[in-house]
Amino acid sequence: MPQRDLLAELRAAHVAAPPEVRERIRLIALEAPGPGVHRRFTWRRAAVVAVPVAAALAAAVVLGTRPSHHNPPRASAVRGLPAHGAIAPQEKAFSVPVTPKRVQTVGATLSLRVRSVSRAVQRAVAIAGSLSGYASSVHAQTHGAHGTATLTLKIPRTHVQAAIRRLSALGTITSESIDLTDRQAGLNADERRIARLRAQLAGTTDPKRRAAITARIQALQRQDASTRRAAHYATLHLRLATPAAVTHPSRVWRDVAWAGGGAAALAVLLLAVHLARRVRENRLLSRS
Amino acid sequence: MTFQQAAEAHLDDVYGYLAWFTSDRFAAEELTAVTFERALRLWHRFDPSRGSARTWLCQVARTVALDHFRSERRRVRREELAAPSESVDFRFAEGLSPELEDALARLTAGEREVVALRVLLDLDAGAASRILGISPTNCTTRLNRALKKLEEALHAAA
Repeated sequence: MPQRDLLAELRAAHVAAPPEVRERIRLIALEAPGPGVHRRFTWRRAAVVAVPVAAALAAAVVLGTRPSHHNPPRASAVRGLPAHGAIAPQEKAFSVPVTPKRVQTVGATLSLRVRSVSRAVQRAVAIAGSLSGYASSVHAQTHGAHGTATLTLKIPRTHVQAAIRRLSALGTITSESIDLTDRQAGLNADERRIARLRAQLAGTTDPKRRAAITARIQALQRQDASTRRAAHYATLHLRLATPAAVTHPSRVWRDVAWAGGGAAALAVLLLAVHLARRVRENRLLSRS
Repeated sequence: MTFQQAAEAHLDDVYGYLAWFTSDRFAAEELTAVTFERALRLWHRFDPSRGSARTWLCQVARTVALDHFRSERRRVRREELAAPSESVDFRFAEGLSPELEDALARLTAGEREVVALRVLLDLDAGAASRILGISPTNCTTRLNRALKKLEEALHAAA
Protein backbone atom coordinates (compact mmCIF):
# COMPACT_ATOMS: atom_id res chain seq x y z
CA MET A 1 0.00 0.00 0.00
CA PRO A 2 1.49 3.37 -0.97
CA GLN A 3 2.05 5.86 1.82
CA ARG A 4 -0.61 8.22 0.41
CA ASP A 5 -3.28 5.50 0.69
CA LEU A 6 -1.99 4.53 4.08
CA LEU A 7 -2.34 8.11 5.33
CA ALA A 8 -5.78 8.41 3.78
CA GLU A 9 -6.95 5.28 5.56
CA LEU A 10 -5.50 6.41 8.87
CA ARG A 11 -7.06 9.87 8.51
CA ALA A 12 -10.42 8.37 7.67
CA ALA A 13 -10.39 6.50 10.92
CA HIS A 14 -12.47 8.03 13.65
CA VAL A 15 -12.08 7.25 17.30
CA ALA A 16 -14.96 8.22 19.53
CA ALA A 17 -14.96 8.01 23.28
CA PRO A 18 -17.43 5.44 24.67
CA PRO A 19 -20.66 6.88 26.16
CA GLU A 20 -19.66 5.92 29.73
CA VAL A 21 -16.39 7.88 29.38
CA ARG A 22 -18.28 10.83 27.91
CA GLU A 23 -20.67 10.79 30.87
CA ARG A 24 -17.78 10.57 33.32
CA ILE A 25 -16.03 13.55 31.75
CA ARG A 26 -19.27 15.51 31.73
CA LEU A 27 -19.57 14.98 35.49
CA ILE A 28 -15.96 16.05 36.00
CA ALA A 29 -16.50 19.16 33.89
CA LEU A 30 -19.55 20.08 35.96
CA GLU A 31 -17.23 20.70 38.91
CA ALA A 32 -15.34 23.31 36.91
CA PRO A 33 -15.83 26.92 37.90
CA GLY A 34 -17.10 29.38 35.33
CA PRO A 35 -14.83 31.28 32.97
CA GLY A 36 -12.10 32.71 35.08
CA VAL A 37 -9.07 34.83 34.61
CA HIS A 38 -6.06 32.84 33.51
CA ARG A 39 -3.36 33.45 36.01
CA ARG A 40 -0.13 34.41 34.40
CA PHE A 41 1.61 34.33 37.78
CA THR A 42 1.99 30.90 39.30
CA TRP A 43 4.27 29.74 42.08
CA ARG A 44 5.93 27.36 39.67
CA ARG A 45 6.76 30.15 37.23
CA ALA A 46 7.95 32.34 40.07
CA ALA A 47 10.14 29.52 41.39
CA VAL A 48 11.78 29.08 37.96
CA VAL A 49 13.09 32.64 38.28
CA ALA A 50 13.45 32.94 42.04
CA VAL A 51 15.38 29.72 42.73
CA PRO A 52 18.33 30.39 40.36
CA VAL A 53 18.47 34.03 41.47
CA ALA A 54 18.48 32.99 45.14
CA ALA A 55 21.15 30.38 44.42
CA ALA A 56 23.33 32.92 42.62
CA LEU A 57 22.90 35.44 45.44
CA ALA A 58 23.69 32.81 48.07
CA ALA A 59 26.79 31.77 46.13
CA ALA A 60 27.89 35.38 45.83
CA VAL A 61 27.37 35.96 49.56
CA VAL A 62 29.16 32.75 50.55
CA LEU A 63 32.04 33.32 48.16
CA GLY A 64 32.18 37.01 48.94
CA THR A 65 32.69 36.36 52.62
CA ARG A 66 35.31 33.68 52.02
CA PRO A 67 38.80 34.65 53.14
CA SER A 68 40.96 35.57 50.19
CA HIS A 69 43.91 33.40 49.26
CA HIS A 70 45.80 36.51 48.26
CA ASN A 71 45.69 37.88 51.78
CA PRO A 72 48.48 36.60 54.00
CA PRO A 73 47.52 35.60 57.53
CA ARG A 74 47.40 38.36 60.09
CA ALA A 75 50.50 38.74 62.20
CA SER A 76 50.17 38.02 65.86
CA ALA A 77 50.69 40.62 68.52
CA VAL A 78 54.04 42.26 69.17
CA ARG A 79 55.77 40.71 66.21
CA GLY A 80 56.29 43.95 64.42
CA LEU A 81 54.87 42.43 61.23
CA PRO A 82 52.18 44.24 59.28
CA ALA A 83 48.97 42.39 58.56
CA HIS A 84 47.16 43.19 55.33
CA GLY A 85 43.85 41.33 55.72
CA ALA A 86 40.94 43.34 57.02
CA ILE A 87 40.35 42.66 60.68
CA ALA A 88 36.82 42.60 61.94
CA PRO A 89 36.02 45.64 64.05
CA GLN A 90 35.00 43.49 67.00
CA GLU A 91 38.45 41.93 67.12
CA LYS A 92 40.77 43.51 69.61
CA ALA A 93 43.75 45.50 68.43
CA PHE A 94 47.23 44.51 69.50
CA SER A 95 47.95 44.70 73.20
CA VAL A 96 51.13 46.63 73.95
CA PRO A 97 53.06 45.11 76.87
CA VAL A 98 54.36 48.43 78.21
CA THR A 99 56.09 48.21 81.57
CA PRO A 100 55.75 51.67 83.18
CA LYS A 101 58.75 51.26 85.48
CA ARG A 102 61.10 50.45 82.62
CA VAL A 103 62.22 52.81 79.88
CA GLN A 104 60.95 51.52 76.54
CA THR A 105 60.56 53.12 73.14
CA VAL A 106 57.28 52.20 71.54
CA GLY A 107 56.28 52.67 67.91
CA ALA A 108 53.06 51.49 66.31
CA THR A 109 51.51 51.63 62.86
CA LEU A 110 47.79 51.28 62.42
CA SER A 111 45.93 51.23 59.10
CA LEU A 112 42.20 51.70 59.21
CA ARG A 113 39.37 51.60 56.73
CA VAL A 114 37.02 54.44 57.63
CA ARG A 115 33.85 55.88 56.16
CA SER A 116 34.96 59.51 56.34
CA VAL A 117 38.62 60.42 56.36
CA SER A 118 38.14 64.02 57.52
CA ARG A 119 35.98 63.02 60.46
CA ALA A 120 38.39 60.24 61.42
CA VAL A 121 41.34 62.69 61.33
CA GLN A 122 39.51 65.08 63.65
CA ARG A 123 38.67 62.32 66.08
CA ALA A 124 42.19 60.88 66.01
CA VAL A 125 43.70 64.26 66.86
CA ALA A 126 41.11 64.69 69.62
CA ILE A 127 41.95 61.25 71.02
CA ALA A 128 45.67 62.11 71.06
CA GLY A 129 44.95 65.37 72.90
CA SER A 130 42.70 63.72 75.45
CA LEU A 131 45.55 61.31 76.31
CA SER A 132 48.03 64.17 76.83
CA GLY A 133 49.55 63.56 73.43
CA TYR A 134 49.64 65.53 70.20
CA ALA A 135 49.74 65.13 66.46
CA SER A 136 53.23 65.79 65.15
CA SER A 137 52.18 65.55 61.51
CA VAL A 138 48.93 65.25 59.58
CA HIS A 139 48.64 64.67 55.87
CA ALA A 140 45.21 64.15 54.32
CA GLN A 141 43.97 64.12 50.74
CA THR A 142 40.73 63.31 48.97
CA HIS A 143 39.87 62.52 45.37
CA GLY A 144 36.12 62.53 44.99
CA ALA A 145 34.65 59.93 47.31
CA HIS A 146 38.04 58.37 47.97
CA GLY A 147 40.28 59.81 50.65
CA THR A 148 43.46 58.93 52.51
CA ALA A 149 45.28 60.43 55.48
CA THR A 150 48.53 59.78 57.30
CA LEU A 151 49.00 61.00 60.87
CA THR A 152 51.94 60.78 63.21
CA LEU A 153 50.75 60.95 66.78
CA LYS A 154 52.86 61.31 69.88
CA ILE A 155 51.18 59.61 72.82
CA PRO A 156 52.55 59.21 76.34
CA ARG A 157 53.95 55.72 76.58
CA THR A 158 51.73 54.79 79.48
CA HIS A 159 48.63 55.67 77.43
CA VAL A 160 49.61 53.96 74.20
CA GLN A 161 47.37 50.96 74.81
CA ALA A 162 44.35 53.17 75.42
CA ALA A 163 45.24 55.20 72.32
CA ILE A 164 45.43 52.12 70.07
CA ARG A 165 42.14 50.82 71.49
CA ARG A 166 40.33 54.11 70.89
CA LEU A 167 41.87 54.72 67.47
CA SER A 168 40.97 51.20 66.37
CA ALA A 169 37.34 52.03 67.03
CA LEU A 170 37.43 54.68 64.31
CA GLY A 171 37.13 52.06 61.58
CA THR A 172 38.11 48.58 60.47
CA ILE A 173 41.72 47.60 61.04
CA THR A 174 43.37 46.58 57.79
CA SER A 175 46.89 46.27 59.14
CA GLU A 176 48.81 47.00 62.32
CA SER A 177 52.29 46.64 63.68
CA ILE A 178 54.01 47.36 67.00
CA ASP A 179 57.69 47.99 67.68
CA LEU A 180 58.83 47.95 71.27
CA THR A 181 62.46 48.28 72.33
CA ASP A 182 63.53 48.10 75.95
CA ARG A 183 66.11 50.83 76.76
CA GLN A 184 66.33 50.10 80.47
CA ALA A 185 69.34 47.79 80.18
CA GLY A 186 71.34 50.46 78.30
CA LEU A 187 70.40 53.10 80.87
CA ASN A 188 71.43 50.80 83.71
CA ALA A 189 74.79 50.21 82.03
CA ASP A 190 75.22 53.96 81.60
CA GLU A 191 74.47 54.52 85.29
CA ARG A 192 77.06 51.96 86.24
CA ARG A 193 79.54 53.60 83.92
CA ILE A 194 78.77 57.03 85.43
CA ALA A 195 79.28 55.58 88.93
CA ARG A 196 82.66 54.22 87.89
CA LEU A 197 83.61 57.55 86.33
CA ARG A 198 82.61 59.40 89.54
CA ALA A 199 84.80 57.04 91.53
CA GLN A 200 87.66 57.77 89.16
CA LEU A 201 86.92 61.48 89.49
CA ALA A 202 87.17 61.28 93.27
CA GLY A 203 90.51 59.47 93.06
CA THR A 204 92.29 61.85 90.69
CA THR A 205 93.71 65.31 91.22
CA ASP A 206 94.96 65.95 87.71
CA PRO A 207 92.83 68.86 86.41
CA LYS A 208 92.96 67.67 82.82
CA ARG A 209 92.00 64.18 83.75
CA ARG A 210 89.16 65.45 85.98
CA ALA A 211 87.87 67.70 83.19
CA ALA A 212 87.84 64.77 80.76
CA ILE A 213 86.03 62.48 83.22
CA THR A 214 83.50 65.21 84.06
CA ALA A 215 82.82 65.79 80.36
CA ARG A 216 82.34 62.08 79.83
CA ILE A 217 79.90 61.90 82.76
CA GLN A 218 77.91 64.86 81.45
CA ALA A 219 77.76 63.35 77.96
CA LEU A 220 76.40 60.09 79.34
CA GLN A 221 73.84 61.98 81.45
CA ARG A 222 72.69 63.99 78.41
CA GLN A 223 72.41 60.81 76.39
CA ASP A 224 70.34 59.12 79.12
CA ALA A 225 68.09 62.15 79.50
CA SER A 226 67.54 62.19 75.76
CA THR A 227 66.68 58.47 75.77
CA ARG A 228 64.19 58.97 78.64
CA ARG A 229 62.58 61.93 76.88
CA ALA A 230 62.29 60.01 73.65
CA ALA A 231 60.81 57.04 75.48
CA HIS A 232 58.20 59.16 77.22
CA TYR A 233 56.19 59.45 74.02
CA ALA A 234 55.23 56.55 71.82
CA THR A 235 55.13 57.31 68.09
CA LEU A 236 51.93 56.15 66.50
CA HIS A 237 51.59 56.20 62.71
CA LEU A 238 47.99 56.17 61.66
CA ARG A 239 46.92 55.52 58.06
CA LEU A 240 43.30 56.14 57.18
CA ALA A 241 41.54 55.30 53.93
CA THR A 242 38.00 55.08 52.64
CA PRO A 243 36.74 51.61 51.54
CA ALA A 244 37.52 52.18 47.84
CA ALA A 245 41.18 52.45 48.72
CA VAL A 246 41.46 49.09 50.39
CA THR A 247 38.92 47.01 48.49
CA HIS A 248 40.68 44.88 45.93
CA PRO A 249 38.91 45.61 42.64
CA SER A 250 39.41 42.10 41.27
CA ARG A 251 37.57 40.62 44.24
CA VAL A 252 34.20 41.73 42.91
CA TRP A 253 34.99 40.21 39.54
CA ARG A 254 36.21 37.04 41.17
CA ASP A 255 32.91 36.71 43.03
CA VAL A 256 30.98 37.43 39.86
CA ALA A 257 33.06 34.78 38.08
CA TRP A 258 32.34 32.29 40.87
CA ALA A 259 28.63 33.04 40.73
CA GLY A 260 28.69 32.74 36.93
CA GLY A 261 30.51 29.43 37.19
CA GLY A 262 27.93 28.22 39.68
CA ALA A 263 25.11 29.26 37.37
CA ALA A 264 26.80 27.48 34.45
CA ALA A 265 27.24 24.34 36.56
CA LEU A 266 23.57 24.52 37.52
CA ALA A 267 22.60 24.88 33.86
CA VAL A 268 24.75 21.86 32.91
CA LEU A 269 23.17 19.86 35.74
CA LEU A 270 19.66 20.78 34.60
CA LEU A 271 20.56 19.86 31.02
CA ALA A 272 21.93 16.51 32.17
CA VAL A 273 18.76 15.82 34.16
CA HIS A 274 16.67 16.76 31.13
CA LEU A 275 18.68 14.48 28.83
CA ALA A 276 18.53 11.59 31.29
CA ARG A 277 14.78 12.04 31.52
CA ARG A 278 14.50 12.04 27.74
CA VAL A 279 16.56 8.85 27.45
CA ARG A 280 14.41 7.11 30.08
CA GLU A 281 11.26 8.26 28.31
CA ASN A 282 12.46 7.01 24.94
CA ARG A 283 13.34 3.67 26.48
CA LEU A 284 9.91 3.48 28.06
CA LEU A 285 8.15 4.19 24.77
CA SER A 286 10.34 1.93 22.65
CA ARG A 287 8.04 -1.02 23.42
CA SER A 288 4.92 -1.84 21.57
CA MET B 1 -13.18 29.10 26.56
CA THR B 2 -14.39 27.36 29.70
CA PHE B 3 -13.20 24.00 30.88
CA GLN B 4 -16.57 22.46 30.06
CA GLN B 5 -16.38 23.69 26.49
CA ALA B 6 -12.80 22.42 26.12
CA ALA B 7 -13.72 19.03 27.57
CA GLU B 8 -16.70 18.66 25.28
CA ALA B 9 -14.81 19.74 22.17
CA HIS B 10 -11.68 17.67 22.67
CA LEU B 11 -12.81 14.54 24.51
CA ASP B 12 -12.63 12.36 21.40
CA ASP B 13 -9.19 13.70 20.51
CA VAL B 14 -7.81 12.98 23.97
CA TYR B 15 -9.39 9.55 24.08
CA GLY B 16 -8.18 8.70 20.56
CA TYR B 17 -4.65 9.86 21.36
CA LEU B 18 -4.55 7.80 24.54
CA ALA B 19 -6.12 4.76 22.88
CA TRP B 20 -3.51 4.73 20.11
CA PHE B 21 -0.71 5.58 22.50
CA THR B 22 -1.49 2.79 24.95
CA SER B 23 -3.18 0.38 22.50
CA ASP B 24 -5.39 -0.58 25.42
CA ARG B 25 -9.06 0.45 25.43
CA PHE B 26 -9.60 0.00 29.17
CA ALA B 27 -6.44 1.88 30.01
CA ALA B 28 -7.39 4.65 27.56
CA GLU B 29 -10.82 5.05 29.20
CA GLU B 30 -9.31 5.26 32.65
CA LEU B 31 -6.50 7.56 31.56
CA THR B 32 -8.95 9.86 29.78
CA ALA B 33 -10.86 10.34 33.03
CA VAL B 34 -7.63 10.89 34.95
CA THR B 35 -6.48 13.38 32.29
CA PHE B 36 -9.60 15.51 32.60
CA GLU B 37 -9.52 15.36 36.40
CA ARG B 38 -5.94 16.59 36.33
CA ALA B 39 -6.73 19.16 33.64
CA LEU B 40 -9.53 20.52 35.81
CA ARG B 41 -7.09 21.03 38.67
CA LEU B 42 -4.54 22.69 36.38
CA TRP B 43 -6.99 24.66 34.27
CA HIS B 44 -5.87 27.96 35.82
CA ARG B 45 -2.45 27.36 34.25
CA PHE B 46 -3.82 27.07 30.74
CA ASP B 47 -2.77 30.10 28.71
CA PRO B 48 -4.63 30.39 25.35
CA SER B 49 -1.90 32.68 24.03
CA ARG B 50 0.64 29.87 24.26
CA GLY B 51 -1.33 27.17 22.46
CA SER B 52 -4.74 25.68 21.85
CA ALA B 53 -6.77 23.86 24.49
CA ARG B 54 -6.41 20.66 22.46
CA THR B 55 -2.63 20.84 22.53
CA TRP B 56 -2.66 21.62 26.25
CA LEU B 57 -5.03 18.73 27.01
CA CYS B 58 -2.82 16.39 24.97
CA GLN B 59 0.19 17.53 27.00
CA VAL B 60 -1.66 16.68 30.20
CA ALA B 61 -2.75 13.36 28.67
CA ARG B 62 0.83 12.55 27.75
CA THR B 63 2.01 13.10 31.31
CA VAL B 64 -0.76 10.85 32.58
CA ALA B 65 0.09 8.21 29.97
CA LEU B 66 3.78 8.26 30.83
CA ASP B 67 2.91 7.75 34.50
CA HIS B 68 0.76 4.82 33.38
CA PHE B 69 3.58 3.32 31.33
CA ARG B 70 5.98 3.59 34.25
CA SER B 71 3.60 1.96 36.72
CA GLU B 72 2.71 -0.67 34.12
CA ARG B 73 6.37 -1.49 33.59
CA ARG B 74 6.87 -1.92 37.33
CA ARG B 75 3.74 -4.06 37.56
CA VAL B 76 4.81 -6.26 34.65
CA ARG B 77 8.26 -6.78 36.15
CA ARG B 78 6.66 -7.75 39.43
CA GLU B 79 3.92 -10.02 38.14
CA GLU B 80 5.06 -11.41 34.83
CA LEU B 81 7.15 -14.15 36.38
CA ALA B 82 4.12 -15.54 38.21
CA ALA B 83 1.45 -14.87 35.61
CA PRO B 84 2.21 -13.64 32.09
CA SER B 85 -0.06 -10.77 31.09
CA GLU B 86 -2.93 -11.59 28.78
CA SER B 87 -3.09 -9.89 25.40
CA VAL B 88 -6.36 -8.02 25.04
CA ASP B 89 -8.00 -7.78 21.64
CA PHE B 90 -7.99 -4.10 20.74
CA ARG B 91 -9.24 -2.19 17.73
CA PHE B 92 -7.58 1.15 17.07
CA ALA B 93 -10.48 2.60 15.10
CA GLU B 94 -13.55 1.74 13.13
CA GLY B 95 -12.91 1.36 9.43
CA LEU B 96 -9.27 0.27 9.55
CA SER B 97 -8.28 -2.87 7.69
CA PRO B 98 -7.17 -5.83 9.85
CA GLU B 99 -3.70 -5.60 8.24
CA LEU B 100 -3.34 -1.97 9.25
CA GLU B 101 -4.66 -2.72 12.74
CA ASP B 102 -2.03 -5.44 13.01
CA ALA B 103 0.69 -3.16 11.68
CA LEU B 104 -0.25 -0.42 14.16
CA ALA B 105 -0.10 -2.93 17.00
CA ARG B 106 3.47 -3.80 16.01
CA LEU B 107 4.65 -0.19 16.31
CA THR B 108 6.25 0.96 19.53
CA ALA B 109 4.27 3.22 21.84
CA GLY B 110 6.45 6.17 20.83
CA GLU B 111 5.78 5.55 17.13
CA ARG B 112 2.03 5.12 17.65
CA GLU B 113 2.02 8.34 19.64
CA VAL B 114 3.46 10.42 16.83
CA VAL B 115 1.09 8.83 14.29
CA ALA B 116 -1.86 9.58 16.57
CA LEU B 117 -0.86 13.21 16.99
CA ARG B 118 0.12 13.99 13.39
CA VAL B 119 -2.33 11.80 11.49
CA LEU B 120 -5.31 10.96 13.69
CA LEU B 121 -5.53 14.36 15.43
CA ASP B 122 -4.06 16.10 12.37
CA LEU B 123 -1.84 18.37 14.45
CA ASP B 124 0.87 20.32 12.67
CA ALA B 125 4.53 19.59 13.37
CA GLY B 126 4.83 22.58 15.73
CA ALA B 127 1.95 21.57 17.99
CA ALA B 128 2.90 17.89 17.98
CA SER B 129 6.53 18.65 18.77
CA ARG B 130 5.42 20.87 21.68
CA ILE B 131 3.45 17.97 23.15
CA LEU B 132 6.32 15.54 22.62
CA GLY B 133 8.93 17.97 23.90
CA ILE B 134 11.12 17.59 20.83
CA SER B 135 11.97 19.70 17.79
CA PRO B 136 9.57 19.82 14.79
CA THR B 137 12.27 18.24 12.61
CA ASN B 138 12.67 15.38 15.04
CA CYS B 139 8.91 14.99 15.14
CA THR B 140 8.70 14.74 11.35
CA THR B 141 11.55 12.23 11.30
CA ARG B 142 9.76 10.06 13.86
CA LEU B 143 6.56 10.20 11.84
CA ASN B 144 8.33 9.19 8.63
CA ARG B 145 9.99 6.25 10.35
CA ALA B 146 6.68 5.11 11.82
CA LEU B 147 4.90 5.37 8.48
CA LYS B 148 7.70 3.49 6.77
CA LYS B 149 7.39 0.70 9.33
CA LEU B 150 3.66 0.58 8.74
CA GLU B 151 4.21 0.46 5.02
CA GLU B 152 6.72 -2.39 5.34
CA ALA B 153 4.41 -4.33 7.64
CA LEU B 154 1.53 -3.95 5.19
CA HIS B 155 3.77 -4.95 2.30
CA ALA B 156 4.89 -8.05 4.19
CA ALA B 157 1.28 -8.91 5.02
CA ALA B 158 0.29 -8.58 1.38
